Amino acid sequence: MDVTARTDDGRTIAIGSREYREVGLDLEGNERLGAWQIKEILDLSLQPGKKKEEVFLAEFPPEVKTAEIGVRLKYIVSEGHEHEVHNVLKRVSFSR
Amino acid sequence: MKTLPVVKVFFLFMLMTAAVASAAEIDTIEQLTQAYGDGACGTCHEKIHGEWTKSMHSRSVVHSLGGMRNFIVFGLERDWKKPVDKENLMRCMHCHAPLLEYASESLVRKIGGMIVSASGGDEAAKKELARLNVNCIVCHNTVAVVEKNLRGLPKKGVYYGTSGSPTQAHGTEKTPALSSPSFCGRCHWLYTPPDGDTLYCNTLYGSYQDSYRAGGGPATCQDCHMRKKGAGHSFPGAYNEEMVREGIQMEVRVDGARMRPGKAVPTAVIAIGLINKAGHRIPDG
Ligand code: HEC
Ligand code: HEC
Ligand code: HEC
Ligand code: HEC
Ligand code: HEC
Repeated sequence: MDVTARTDDGRTIAIGSREYREVGLDLEGNERLGAWQIKEILDLSLQPGKKKEEVFLAEFPPEVKTAEIGVRLKYIVSEGHEHEVHNVLKRVSFSR
Repeated sequence: MKTLPVVKVFFLFMLMTAAVASAAEIDTIEQLTQAYGDGACGTCHEKIHGEWTKSMHSRSVVHSLGGMRNFIVFGLERDWKKPVDKENLMRCMHCHAPLLEYASESLVRKIGGMIVSASGGDEAAKKELARLNVNCIVCHNTVAVVEKNLRGLPKKGVYYGTSGSPTQAHGTEKTPALSSPSFCGRCHWLYTPPDGDTLYCNTLYGSYQDSYRAGGGPATCQDCHMRKKGAGHSFPGAYNEEMVREGIQMEVRVDGARMRPGKAVPTAVIAIGLINKAGHRIPDG
């Protein structure tokens, strides 16, 4: 998941990103890919029926009045196979 | 009733191939597909066969070729210094090609060699290996009996299903296994080979039981992967964009303020909620 911003004066800023996955470890604690090597799983994936909340704070230069925040969720299935699951754009104004 | 004699002849034919298969050792992929292939099923179960052809189950060896080659070359040969034999290859084939249980030692060894050459670009070997998969007979016979001590070994030529509706085409038997998640768990969970070691390839069934069911989730694997939207035997999963999109919901809330007293720094507060609507962790593996 990548969070970016495009400011009203045309700059693109990377705000942050998060990765959710399952990490397979061997007996010595090294990450491994081979099914025969994995003996333990560090589960950093999204859990069923649960909501994962992430909050990002992004600071902008003083002259910025509005920005467009983009949140893009990508699913990487295997090498060469990925899809964009969601791409949401939201405008935010800093002056009331 | 005009079609009856034709069907009867077919029944006899099926019994005969089964008898031939058990009498002789299966020494070639051709013999294996003759005895346990999906070819005949498609003539009557055309729609199901078409769906299955699109599923990962129909490509369960060629789709994982690279990983299997690494197991042979780095796992067995380099690190373990063990032979590429039936016992060791079944560590993968127990799920990726269970029909190899019926194959001779020399055929399984030969297949080990073909996996290495196919992943090195040998197209002819790859084409042969594409005939090994999780087919109709695997699910409706070989692995269809979940409690073998209680219910007996699967009977040759009998196809187990949820209804057991009789037909003259072949034997049928009703079993509760096919609609149970534990049936899928045979291959979508931790595997313990005969030497008592453990093998983690795909462990979604564990996540299904311990997280989804434990949290009150009511659906079975079959509900989401077969019955929903009439997916049937195409078993949509991670490669299906629509399935993945429905599996993860995303909420985004954005608020703006000028923070830090006296400095008025324009600040965006971005709150994102990701909700997993599947029956297990996302992603797996
Ligand atoms: C308990 C059953 C089981 C065993 C044993 C098993 N696998 Fe798997 N494997 C699966 C299942 C099920 C999948 C599909 C998982 C998915 O796509 O989410 C899979 C997927 C894979 C993939 C990934 C395909 C891809 O790119 O999505 C590779 C590679 C693989 N297996 C290699 C192996 C190797 C090598 C072995 C033996 C050392 C092995 N497997 C043993 C069940 C098993
Ligand atoms: C991965 C395992 C798997 C494979 C492979 C598979 N099936 Fe099935 N099949 C099932 C399950 C599970 C059901 C029950 C679905 C349900 O409960 O909704 C089923 C249902 C059926 C039914 C309907 C019976 C009923 O109860 O509705 C027929 C007929 C059938 N399969 C034939 C086939 C044929 C023909 C093939 C090969 C082209 C095939 N199956 C491959 C698992 C499999
Ligand atoms: C000559 C036609 C014909 C052939 C060939 C055939 N079937 Fe069937 N099969 C039927 C009919 C008819 C039924 C009963 C009605 C139905 O469920 O579709 C049936 C039912 C089934 C069922 C459902 C049993 C249940 O409990 O509901 C399964 C599973 C099945 N067949 C599997 C297979 C497999 C596997 C093959 C290939 C080895 C195969 N069939 C080949 C005609 C055929
Ligand atoms: C005999 C073993 C076996 C059984 C039984 C089995 N599967 Fe599979 N399944 C596999 C293998 C092996 C693969 C992966 C093949 C590959 O990617 O190389 C797979 C792949 C899949 C995929 C596609 C995964 C993806 O990444 O898109 C889904 C979905 C799936 N299975 C669901 C099920 C369900 C639901 C059941 C029970 C009704 C079931 N399977 C029963 C062995 C099995
Ligand atoms: C509530 C619906 C639901 C249930 C129940 C469910 N699944 Fe899934 N499954 C999904 C969705 C949605 C996806 C696509 C998102 C993803 O890839 O994880 C998926 C993906 C998969 C994949 C591909 C995962 C990957 O990351 O490669 C496999 C394999 C699979 N399911 C097998 C199963 C098995 C086996 C069961 C039962 C033990 C099961 N599913 C139960 C909804 C469900």
